[in-house]
Amino acid sequence: MDVSQDLADYAAKHSSNLLARPQPADVDLGYLAAFDTTPTDAELYSSSRDSHLRDLALASVSTLLNSLFALPKTSSPLGPVVRPPAPTTVLPREKPLPKPKPPTKWERFAKEKGISHVKKDKVVWDEEKQDWVKRWGRGGKNKEAEDQWLHEVKGGDNADHDPAATARAERKARIAKNTAQQNANLASASSSKEARKAELNRSMLISKTSTASLGKFDKKIEGEPKARGVKRKFDGVVEHDWKDEKAKALDVLRGVESGEKRKVKGTAREEGAVNVRKAVRGLGRDGPGNDRGVKGKGKKGRR
Amino acid sequence: MRPLTEDETKAVFEKLANYIGKNLVHLIDRDEDDAYCFRLHRDRVYYLPLPMLHLATSIARPNLVSLGTCLGKFSKSGKFKLGITALDYLAKYAKYKVWIKQPGELPFLYGNHVVKAHLGRVTEDTPEHQGVVVYNMSDVPLGFGVTARSTLDTRKLDPTGIIVFHQADVGEFLRDEDTMF
Repeated sequence: MDVSQDLADYAAKHSSNLLARPQPADVDLGYLAAFDTTPTDAELYSSSRDSHLRDLALASVSTLLNSLFALPKTSSPLGPVVRPPAPTTVLPREKPLPKPKPPTKWERFAKEKGISHVKKDKVVWDEEKQDWVKRWGRGGKNKEAEDQWLHEVKGGDNADHDPAATARAERKARIAKNTAQQNANLASASSSKEARKAELNRSMLISKTSTASLGKFDKKIEGEPKARGVKRKFDGVVEHDWKDEKAKALDVLRGVESGEKRKVKGTAREEGAVNVRKAVRGLGRDGPGNDRGVKGKGKKGRR
Repeated sequence: MRPLTEDETKAVFEKLANYIGKNLVHLIDRDEDDAYCFRLHRDRVYYLPLPMLHLATSIARPNLVSLGTCLGKFSKSGKFKLGITALDYLAKYAKYKVWIKQPGELPFLYGNHVVKAHLGRVTEDTPEHQGVVVYNMSDVPLGFGVTARSTLDTRKLDPTGIIVFHQADVGEFLRDEDTMF
């Protein structure tokens, strides 16, 4: 039995006409990517660029597919499934790193004084309940003073002193103060120094020109900002293209015509038609229900 | 001298449209070889052919007295007032016309309103407060004005009643010669 023919056929069928690469492409199966790091053959590239590039791509893809099929398979209703390993290529971050938040006033103070700040827990131990309770929020520890069933009244307090209401008002005041501080921090963080300087300059100019003489006789301050008006801008005396100018004029004309049409619609009337506005005015003068004014006018016209 | 801004163009067109209506498009939409443009020079609006504009660019602003046809001028408050020099274009494209009899010509040319006694003919269906061009009976344009009554209402008017409010007349060429252009 001579199998040489079969073998030759098989070899012809399965022989790869792939481009031989001295170093196989690096494969990153996590991204399903292959990187061919071998330098390109300059001669081949310049002589037959398209076919050479196709060969290179084919070689890399075959390397990728080979390594993909070498992975352990599991069968699933959809067919064999492979789980690619985690990607090894490190990709650069898409967006820049977030900027550090500007420190709040307290943070700046703490840093200056060297105070190390320990963040408070959200829950706190309640000895009476023998349980952890929230520091604030619904059923929070900060409402303990106003929620207790019996309030101690101190000796110096007024007769109408309400300890629960006082405690609640104090808590609300603390919240309001904190909100105000938070807003101040946000405001100082959002506005830059230049913006604030510009705003100050603007308000200074406004206040300076707010006198009867528009600030003419006021004392000048050193380094005072100079008022700059907006310069008017006009088209050139001779346009590059007269057609542009014509188109612009026609555009304005269209607006004018549409305005005229609207005006005419509102006021013009057919010959002999009743001017409703006038008629209603006449009615109004004589009082409703009295149509003498309108009737009289009609007679006059017929005469 | 400069081109008109959009607001100025609108003010001018609105005034012109009061007299010539849709014919205004003939002043703007012209052929390339017969191009005209609107220019503003010292608050006055001029309508001039493009070659004239090119010639005028070589004259310094203080030395330039007038160019093309003066259509009117802008007041300090930004309102546009049509001048008698625009009469040629208004008469050519006028939508509503009023003809006055021979005895009424001189009073109108001295700057008076047109009264009913002097009225010769008037375009049918002229509405109230409509810009009209005033002609004498031999079709010579004498000026322009604004109707005081619609054509229908004029019938009831007595002979001394005003028909057209005077706005400009050719007598101004003599009366206001110094500030004309």
